Amino acid sequence: MTPHRGRVAILAAAAAAYGVAAWMVAPGFYDGFGPAAPYNWVCPPAQAGSNLKPSSGHLSINVIGGVSDANSAFTNDGQIVIGFLPGAFDATGKSSISVDISPLTTCPSPAGIKLVTNVYQITADAPLKQPANLEMVFSNLLPAPNNIYIAASPSGPYHQLQSQPTRPFVLQAQTSSLGYFAAGYSAASPPAGAVTVGGGQALPIIVAGLIVVVVLAGLPLAIMRRRRSAGMEGGEEEEDDDEG
Amino acid sequence: MVSAVGWRPYARVGEIGAYVLLVEWVRSLVVVAPHAAVPSLVIGGAALGLAAVGWRAQSLGLGASHLGLRIIGGFALGAVLLLPAAVRADAAPILPAGLALPAVAISIGEELAFRGALYAALDDLGGAPLAIIGSTALWTLAHAFSHPPAFLFAVAAAGLVLALWRWACRDLVGPIIGHVIADLLL
Repeated sequence: MTPHRGRVAILAAAAAAYGVAAWMVAPGFYDGFGPAAPYNWVCPPAQAGSNLKPSSGHLSINVIGGVSDANSAFTNDGQIVIGFLPGAFDATGKSSISVDISPLTTCPSPAGIKLVTNVYQITADAPLKQPANLEMVFSNLLPAPNNIYIAASPSGPYHQLQSQPTRPFVLQAQTSSLGYFAAGYSAASPPAGAVTVGGGQALPIIVAGLIVVVVLAGLPLAIMRRRRSAGMEGGEEEEDDDEG
Repeated sequence: MVSAVGWRPYARVGEIGAYVLLVEWVRSLVVVAPHAAVPSLVIGGAALGLAAVGWRAQSLGLGASHLGLRIIGGFALGAVLLLPAAVRADAAPILPAGLALPAVAISIGEELAFRGALYAALDDLGGAPLAIIGSTALWTLAHAFSHPPAFLFAVAAAGLVLALWRWACRDLVGPIIGHVIADLLL
């Protein structure tokens, strides 16, 4: 179990190299359950670091035999996707239907609701006849939202849509009308992500705690091993049950 | 007969390498399906752990000796892995509690697969240098399925630290504990 000094030096060098490599990217391991890419904010929170402008999206839906096709509109950064079933629009007199998604350039703070994503405006040049399926990505830098909200104007009022998480950092809801959409949680109730297991401001304290445990528990263990080794007759090395 | 015995370590490395890459690839595809994240991560972690079935615990670095030091070593590895994020805590992501179990499952599964079975098979084939470099390379390749390219240097460096610990201390308990701590907290 006890490594030789040369091995310890190599291990220390690798740890230093890891420190440099990890410093070059945003914190986080994203070991299969993080967002695929950092969230693009209109109003980035203080902890966001470098930020890209959120993108917009456009979709032209074909109308065949008076029935609008099934299709999905999404922004180029994939932060919001809206899917339409066949015949979702009232396509009377149209050969195609245009759907546009654009992030609002401001960040409203409606009373009683804490929005944790950008607000997106979704418009179409035909009215919806059937509910559309909406998916919104959210960031891991803020508490997870409970619901997607819809409003007819940016200033509100915002109404809650029945929402559910479909995969990590994605909320899904159905909407019967288009307008302004954002994900958030009621200011009166804790957000879904209120119970967390780490990260954020707790991290330095936890890491400091780990270091203290390593020092306080590791030193006595190492001293005990050294004394035991020194006490062995003939200076033989302590038996190790590991292979190799 | 001699030829068959000579090829056996190569075949074993090939089988384990292909298996863990396949599991990681499938996991990365399934995890984005609606409602599939938690089960795919838990099942994926268990499937990765299956790579270690049939190996002696000591070959995997799981001997019970010096357990206290192994556990302390795991805490030290966790601190090393978290340190670059801890000094930038303002930007550190938050893991929702619902993903804690998948984080533990995938951490243990990856360690058993990469620094456990794959490392042992590569060690049998070409010794410690091949085991360290080979397990780190496949670990990095497996993470290319689920990580943006910019993260792969950090992933490779983390894999190298864990593999070097496995080599220097002949221990897998430390990497398992360190990996679990790091995944839980970020």
